[in-house]
Amino acid sequence: MGALLSRLNPQSLRILGLLAVLVLVVLFFSTQIPHYLNGRLFNRISSSVAIMALIATGQTLVILTRNIDLSIGSIVGFVAFATGGLISSHPDLGPVLLVTYSVLLGAAFGAVNGVLVAYGRIPSIIVTLGTMALFRSALVEYSDAKSITTSNLPHWLVNFPNTVLFQIGQYQFRAAFVAAIVVVLLVHFMLNRFRPARKLYAIGSNPEAAEMAGINTSATVFVAFVLAGALAGLAGFMFLARFGTITVVAGLGLELKSVAAAVVGGVNIFGGSGSVIGALIGAVLIDLIDTSLVRWDMVSEFWREAVLGGLILLSVAADTTLMRRLVNLRISREKAKFSKARNVQSQEVAE
Amino acid sequence: MVSPVLELAEITKTFGMTAALSSMSIRLWPGEVHAIVGENGAGKSTMIKIMTGLYPPTSGTIKIDGKPVTLTGPQAARDLGVTAIYQEPMVFPDLDVSENIFISSTREGWIQNRADLRRKAQTLIEGIGITLDVDRIASGLTLAEQQAVEIARALSQDVRVLIMDEPTASLSAHEAEQLRKIAVTLARQGVSVVYISHRLEEIFEIADRVTVVRDGRHISTRPIDEVTSEGMIAEMVGREIDSYFARVPSHAQPETVLEVSNLARKDVFEGVSFNLQKGEILCMAGLVGARRTDIALALFGIAPPTSGHITYKGKKVSFQSPRQAIDAGIAYLSEDRRKFGLAMPMDITANITLATLAEFLSPTGLLDHEKERATAEVFREKLNIRTSDIGLPVEMLSGGNQQKVMLAKWLNLKPDLLIFDEPTRGIDIGAKAEVHALIRAFAAAGGAAIVVSSDLPEVLAMGDRILVMREGRQMGIVDGNDATQENIMSMATGQSDMKEAS
Repeated sequence: MGALLSRLNPQSLRILGLLAVLVLVVLFFSTQIPHYLNGRLFNRISSSVAIMALIATGQTLVILTRNIDLSIGSIVGFVAFATGGLISSHPDLGPVLLVTYSVLLGAAFGAVNGVLVAYGRIPSIIVTLGTMALFRSALVEYSDAKSITTSNLPHWLVNFPNTVLFQIGQYQFRAAFVAAIVVVLLVHFMLNRFRPARKLYAIGSNPEAAEMAGINTSATVFVAFVLAGALAGLAGFMFLARFGTITVVAGLGLELKSVAAAVVGGVNIFGGSGSVIGALIGAVLIDLIDTSLVRWDMVSEFWREAVLGGLILLSVAADTTLMRRLVNLRISREKAKFSKARNVQSQEVAE
Repeated sequence: MVSPVLELAEITKTFGMTAALSSMSIRLWPGEVHAIVGENGAGKSTMIKIMTGLYPPTSGTIKIDGKPVTLTGPQAARDLGVTAIYQEPMVFPDLDVSENIFISSTREGWIQNRADLRRKAQTLIEGIGITLDVDRIASGLTLAEQQAVEIARALSQDVRVLIMDEPTASLSAHEAEQLRKIAVTLARQGVSVVYISHRLEEIFEIADRVTVVRDGRHISTRPIDEVTSEGMIAEMVGREIDSYFARVPSHAQPETVLEVSNLARKDVFEGVSFNLQKGEILCMAGLVGARRTDIALALFGIAPPTSGHITYKGKKVSFQSPRQAIDAGIAYLSEDRRKFGLAMPMDITANITLATLAEFLSPTGLLDHEKERATAEVFREKLNIRTSDIGLPVEMLSGGNQQKVMLAKWLNLKPDLLIFDEPTRGIDIGAKAEVHALIRAFAAAGGAAIVVSSDLPEVLAMGDRILVMREGRQMGIVDGNDATQENIMSMATGQSDMKEAS
């Protein structure tokens, strides 16, 4: 166990820890709620995680650079509505064009945030607090107080999220979920293997040093916001396909949920460390707890939010404490190794 | 005609009303080690920031290969081959060593090949002559290791002008020697190396030419053969200074303030025993990694000891937090001014009164700004803090003046025991002498002082007694009058130990 601990890197350990918590939560609720563990639970969670996973990923990209994007919920809402409007008026548009439209529209909103934060040098929390309201108002204006309804949408779009791609036992893997997972894995790969992606971590890790090291910090932060916008746009498309009915309040509150998912998933709110896989598991965990609390008699409806909030605080506290312990453990281990090696060396010298 | 690789021509830089540089001209040739010396606040840092594109000059031109250029930022300077290594290393704590080295490299492809990156990083690190696991996360590296990472980063690209700003200030003797070798090697390969240091002996060892700056002006540029250290110092300070490192008689009084017996912190240090009289200055000498700072942190309650006893003013104490230590009249001046010492963006006044805010409350319970300002003015006068306005943020001051602000903050507490951790690191000779005088005045007035220092001449000059540490163990205590560079060094490096053993 100890050897394993010292070989894995902190990020992988964090993810293993999160998975352990996930299993514990599932086991706990299965003792509390009758008929809890079945395919329905998986299918329900996987459907809603499809959207959360995308925005948590986008949020992670931004948080890594020591910024935050509070306008994500508004972007999701606007894109969902605008995409719905487009397909209603042009029902013959194909899926590729429609997805491209959503992503580009989201990216455009992200670019607004990016310009203000990276080039205008205004703190991101202020910029996105402003654009959160602005984008939402733009939606109200654009929608003209009308709603998109499922009847306006083509069948392929409405059926898309629930299309079962493959099934293992009771567990259905639906298109939206699989698509979202593919995107998350793609972003994960890029963050790990793409050289420019390291710059996101560098900037969040030490902004001053990044500047001195000759990294174009403005361009990098700008790109992070554009990517977050694009992912929110894609989430907007998923939102439209899943719910069909889109009103001016679509996506309200998603911004905070995305931050919560990222933080629970071990992304450092001060930037510099974290992974989108962690954010994905964070999203699953929050959704799982949320869904399960609805079915748990012990907690009244009014206390659900409080329990959820408490769990978020608990998970972050646990993560911090565990990581600190682990780092100390590893340091003392390395030290022991080092002094052992040195003793051997000095013995050799003596001989 | 060959043109200088980098030239500053009549560069002036002003901040508000103050001129940090006035018509500064300097030419850097390929293949030379060009030392720049001057007191803190003389304008060396500003000059570097102009060379690396961090500050645009107010007037004047920057020429590269004889052609005027505009440097829009560090990236632009780096693309032209100008790069700098700073006294306080700039690393990314969350990334590992190899990633740190190649973070701004433009030569690598888009897809990162971990194994390849590791191998290249290893080669660069070995080229510098140190051993370091390139997979380690940078947050755990020592200052010297961070410095190595920065040099490797600079070397990962074509570098034509390498500026080293006080690179050896925080390194041990061996590490500093390695670094000087690197500087010379690079110069032989045709790089123009700019070397800034307060250690004059280093400059005589490696520099080809020396430029002296004072008050933002160019004073002289000469080949090293034509320079003497006395002449250089006289030019730097604008006056003759002698005997800064002269010893003064001890002011120790019979009353014991602090008695430490067999103090230890698990896995950090052990077996530390000493006592400290009123009016006495005890210096702690040793190499980097000797754990002197950890003893200071233990005494101050930041990282409490795990065994042993501390008797302070006749009473057994075990401080679990800095608050308790402060309440008992102990103050600690950290070696890391940026991290633990000062609130950089806050003004000088606020920094000075920060530790003693309760004294500045008016009867209404609100802060009395008039009183704060008055106190700050007194300290500005007393400690000779050179600034036009005590309302300026501390980050605008030079290192020496920042150190004085920090000292003012703790003196205001009227402590009985002051622990100085590397009080003159990165400070020029003029300011050093002033800080020494301040520490001596504190002791002469009946205070007890512990001075942790890696600067041997300083230790020999200041210490009434000198405690030598080596890798967490106390090697012995030497009376200041019997101490020599040689006997302190042999204890600190463990050579005396080996002699006894054989």
